[in-house]
Amino acid sequence: MKDILLIARAHIATAVRERVTLFWFLIFPVFLLTILTLIFGQIGEEGEISFDITLLNRDRSPSAETPFSDMIESVFRELATAQDEATQPLFVLHTPEEDADLEGFLESELTELRRGRRAAVLVIPEGFNDTVMGSLIEDSAEIATSSEVGEIDSLRIFMSDTSVSSEYATQIIQQILTEIDRRILIQSGRFSPDRAVSSETHWIGRQDGETPYVDYVLPGIILMGFFMNGLFGVPGTILFSRDRKVLRRYWVTPLSVLRYLAGFGLGHLTLCGLQFSLLFLLGVYAFGATINFAALDTVLLLVLAAVTFMAFGFLIASLAKTANAGMATANILNIPMMFLSGMFFPTSGLPAFIMVIVYANPVSYLLEGLRRSVGVQNSTIMPSIWIVIVPLLWILLSSLVTSRRLKWDVER
Amino acid sequence: MTAFRALLISELKIFSRDRMAMFFTLLFPLVFILIFGFLMRGIGDVDQARLGILFTSETDGQSLMQTIEEAGSMDLSFFESQEELEDAVAARTIDFGMHWDGSGLQFFYDANRVQENFAFEQVARGIATEFDFRRQAVTRVLPIEEVHVGTIQSIGWYNLVLPGILAFSVLSAGLFAVSGHLTQMKQRNILDRLIVTPMPPMALLSAIVVIRLGVVFISTLITLGVGIAVFGLQFEVDWFRFVIFVICATLGTMGMGTIIALLVRRPSSASSLANVLAMVMMFFAGIYFPIEFMPAFLRSVGKGLPLTHMANAMRYVTGVIEMSELEFWAITFSLLGFAIVLFPVLARYVVRPLRR
Amino acid sequence: MTDAFMMKVSRLTKHYGETRAVDGISFTVPNASVFTILGPNGAGKTTTLEMLEGIREPDSGEIEIFGARLKRVTRPVKQRMGVLLQDGGFEPYLKVHEILRLFSSFFQNSLPVDDVLEWVALSEKSKALVRTLSGGQKQRLAIGAALINDPDLVFLDEPTTGLDPQARRNIWDIVSGLRARGKTIILTTHYMEEAEALSDEVCIMDYGKIIAQGAPKTLTGDLGEETLIEFHGENVSTQAMDQLQRCCKATRSDQMMITLETEHLTETMESLFAWSREHDIKLRDLTVRQPNLEDVFLTLTGRRLRG
Repeated sequence: MKDILLIARAHIATAVRERVTLFWFLIFPVFLLTILTLIFGQIGEEGEISFDITLLNRDRSPSAETPFSDMIESVFRELATAQDEATQPLFVLHTPEEDADLEGFLESELTELRRGRRAAVLVIPEGFNDTVMGSLIEDSAEIATSSEVGEIDSLRIFMSDTSVSSEYATQIIQQILTEIDRRILIQSGRFSPDRAVSSETHWIGRQDGETPYVDYVLPGIILMGFFMNGLFGVPGTILFSRDRKVLRRYWVTPLSVLRYLAGFGLGHLTLCGLQFSLLFLLGVYAFGATINFAALDTVLLLVLAAVTFMAFGFLIASLAKTANAGMATANILNIPMMFLSGMFFPTSGLPAFIMVIVYANPVSYLLEGLRRSVGVQNSTIMPSIWIVIVPLLWILLSSLVTSRRLKWDVER
Repeated sequence: MTAFRALLISELKIFSRDRMAMFFTLLFPLVFILIFGFLMRGIGDVDQARLGILFTSETDGQSLMQTIEEAGSMDLSFFESQEELEDAVAARTIDFGMHWDGSGLQFFYDANRVQENFAFEQVARGIATEFDFRRQAVTRVLPIEEVHVGTIQSIGWYNLVLPGILAFSVLSAGLFAVSGHLTQMKQRNILDRLIVTPMPPMALLSAIVVIRLGVVFISTLITLGVGIAVFGLQFEVDWFRFVIFVICATLGTMGMGTIIALLVRRPSSASSLANVLAMVMMFFAGIYFPIEFMPAFLRSVGKGLPLTHMANAMRYVTGVIEMSELEFWAITFSLLGFAIVLFPVLARYVVRPLRR
Repeated sequence: MTDAFMMKVSRLTKHYGETRAVDGISFTVPNASVFTILGPNGAGKTTTLEMLEGIREPDSGEIEIFGARLKRVTRPVKQRMGVLLQDGGFEPYLKVHEILRLFSSFFQNSLPVDDVLEWVALSEKSKALVRTLSGGQKQRLAIGAALINDPDLVFLDEPTTGLDPQARRNIWDIVSGLRARGKTIILTTHYMEEAEALSDEVCIMDYGKIIAQGAPKTLTGDLGEETLIEFHGENVSTQAMDQLQRCCKATRSDQMMITLETEHLTETMESLFAWSREHDIKLRDLTVRQPNLEDVFLTLTGRRLRG
C-alpha cells in the first residue's frame, strides 16, 4: 500500500512543481472561468457597461417650442449621468459645442462610428418636433411608418454592423425611444396606461430568475479541467516517463505495472479533486455561484468524468509511438472534443456530419449529465441512460487497447 | 551557393518533411475555423427562433398574431395548455413560449439557456410593445430610422471573428518561429554546429523569416477561402495593405518571440511560455469574445496588447471594419519597428551557443 | 550466506534474428566479491546483465541465484537484488530523498533513507530536485536507489561511463565499500583500469562469448613474465623492423606505435638504444610497463579494447 501511496504522491508533487503543468491544469481553468464570467456575466448587468454615443439635436430653437426633442435629449443626458460613484452611466454622451459646425461634427462622428469608437449616432432632424406634433394631432392611420422615410424627418440612429456594442447600444436606444414614445402617447391621452398589456417573465427550471452565467459555465469549466488533465496529463506523464527511462528503473524492482497504475490513478484523481476544489471555491466565493455539487449523483458523475478522461488519456498513450506524437495527438483532439460538446457554445444548430462527433464525444454526455444533476439544464439531447453508458464504453475501449498496446518500456 | 540560399533550401526541406509541423501550421487552423464557424453560425440569429403560442382568450387574438408575424420569420407552434407549453420550453422543442390570457402576456424561457435568452427576450419585448400599441390602435409618434453605416453590412459575428483568427495565426507563426523553432535548434545543439562555421546569423534568420512568411501567406489565403466558400463570409481584401501588413506583423511577432527567448533560461521553456502568452492574449484581444463587455480595467489590458491592434488591422485590410489610415500605418510600422529593433538582438543573443 | 557462490550462469543465450548477442556463456560469481564483465561496446555485456536482472528473457540457458534454479528472474528474487541500469532517468521534479523513499516502498525490507544518502555521499543534496543534480550526483542517486533494499547482490551496468575522473573515483569508493560490507557485485565496464582496480574476478566478453576469465593478475600473468616496451617510431623501414624482430617480439600498430615484449628488460633496452642509433630513429613517448587487461584482450582478439 505504501508504494501505491508514494507513487500517487510523486505524481502530484511533479504536477505541482512543474510550472507548465501547473499552469495548464490549475491556472488556465481558473483564468477561463474568470474571463468568461466577467464578459458574459456582464451583459445585462447595470452599471458595468457603458456605450459611447453621439446625440446631434438639430431641432433646437430659442423661440419655438421643442418639447419632444428636448425630452429625448434630457432622457439621454440623464442616462449619461452617473447615479453614484460606484456605477458607470449607461452612456457617454457626445454632443456638439455651442457654435460648432454641425455638418462637420456629424461627419466626424460618423467616421468615429465607422471606426468603432462610437456605438451609435443619433440625429434629431430639423422639423422633428413639428412632425411629431403633427402626428399627434392628425389621425394615426394616415401617418407614415418608418418605411416611408423620404418625406418624413425621422430621428436617425446610425449604427455599425461590424461592432457588437453598436448592435447592443442600438437595441437599448430603441427601447428607450419606445418608452419615450409611450410616455408621449400617454400624456396626449392617446394611450391608456390602464389598458396596457402587462408582461410577465417566467423562468422554466428555476424559481428565482434566469440562471446566473457562472452557474451555467462552472460545471463546464470543471469538466474542462478534468478533460485537459486526462488528455494531456496522462500521455504526458506516462510517455515522457517511459521515453526518459524513468519507468525502466521501476521495472527492475519488485514493483508491478498494476501497482504502478494504481498509484498513478490515485494521484491523477487527487489532482482532479484539487482542480475541482479550486474552481468550486472560486466560483462560489468570487463569482457567487449557487449550484451545489454535494448530491450523490453529482459526485458519481464527477468521478465518472475523471476516470473516463484518464482512460482516454491512456488510449492516446497506447496509440502513440513517442511522447511527442502523443502530445501532438492530444493537441489535435483537444479543441474539437472540447468545443463540440456544448461546453461553451450550444450544439443545437450544427450540421449533421458534425453532430456525429458530438454524439460520439464522451464529453457531451458527461457535461449534460453534470449540468442536469446540478440543475442548470432541463432538457436532454440524449436519454439519461446514455449519459453513463457512453463514457463507460469509452473506458472499456481504452482499457482493452491499453492492456494490449501500451508499451511500458522503450525499445532497447 | 550563398549561406542564405543554402539555409533557405534546407529550412524548406525540414519544414516539408516534418509532417507534424505542416499539419499544425497549415491544416490544423482549418479544423479550428470550421468548428468555430459552425458553432458560431447560429449565434444571435433570431430569425430561426421557435416560438410556442398559447391563447386562453380570443380577445385581440388576430391583432396579436399580426404583431407576431411582423416581428420576424419565426417557427410558430400552438399549444393547448400552459403545462404543455412549459414542457416544450424545458424540452427545448421551442425556444421560448408566449401565453395571452386576454389582459397580459406571459413569456416562458428556459432558465438555463443563458447565452441565448437575451436574443429571445429582445423579440418578446418587441412583440409586447408593438402589440400594446396596436391593441389601443395607436402608432408611434416618433419616426425612427436605423441607418447602417460601413462598407459591409449585415455581416454575422463570424465575419468579424475570422480576421481575428488570422491575426492570431500570424502571431503564433512569428512567436513560435523564434520561441519554438529556433530555441529548439538551440536545445538540440543544431545551432551550435552552425555557429561554429562562418555562417552569418542573419542568413539563418532571413531563411527562417522567408519560410514563415510563405507559410503565413498560404495559410491565411486558405483560411479566407474556406471562410468564403463554406460560410459565405464577405471580404474585400486590399491586397497591397494586406501583404505589407502580414510581412510587418510576421517580422514584428518574431521580434516578440525574441523577448520571450531572452527571458527564459532554458530553451525548452520558451515555447511553453510563448504558448501561455499567446493563449492569454487571444482572450484579452477580443478574438473570440467581444472585449467591449469586459470590465474597464480588463478592457484597458486588451487595448495594450499587440494582438488587439493586429486583429483590428487585419479586419481593416480584409474590408470588414474601417480604420483611419494613420492608425493602420501606425500599427503596421510599430510592428516593423519591433522587428528592426529586436532582430539584431535576436542575431546577437539568441542565435548563439547553448551555455551548458 | 553459506553458499559458496551467489550466482551461477549456464549456457545463457540470446539471439536477435541472425545475430547471437550472447552465445551460450557460463560463469560462476563467488560470494562477497566484485565480478566484472569487461568488453568493448557491443560485446553483449549489457544484454547479459539485463537477462540476469530480469528485464530481458534469455532464449536458453539457466540461472542459479540465491540457491534456486530459474529460467527467468522472478519478483521474490528482485527483493534481494539491487540494480543500477546503464541508462535510466528519474522524475526531474522529485527531490533526492523523495526518490529514495519511493524506491524503498517497492521492497519489503529497506534501509533508512538517510543512511543510504550518507553511503552515497548525497546527504547534503537530500532536498535538492533531481533536475538540479550533476551527472555524477545523479549516478550516485541511482546507486543509492539500487542499494535501498540492502541487497545481497548488486548489478552495476557501466557505472562510471561519461563521468569525470573525480566522479569516477567517488563511485569506485562506493563499490569498494560495498564489497567490504560483504555484498556481491556484478559490474560491467569497458574501462580496463576500472576492471583492474575493483575486480576480484574478471570475465572478458567479445562478440557474445567469454574469451577469458579469472582474477586480473592471473589474466595478465598468463601473458607471461614479459614486460612491455612501447614507443612511437616514425619512418621505420621494413628492414629496420625485421632487425628489431630478431632481438625480441615486436609488433607494430597502424598508429606507428611499436610494442616490444621481453622477459629480459635490461638487455632489450640496450639493444633498442643501439638499434635506434643505427637507424637514426627517435624513440618518442617511450614507455616501460607491465601488461594489463587491454593487452590480454589484444592478444586474444588482435583488437584494442577501446574501439
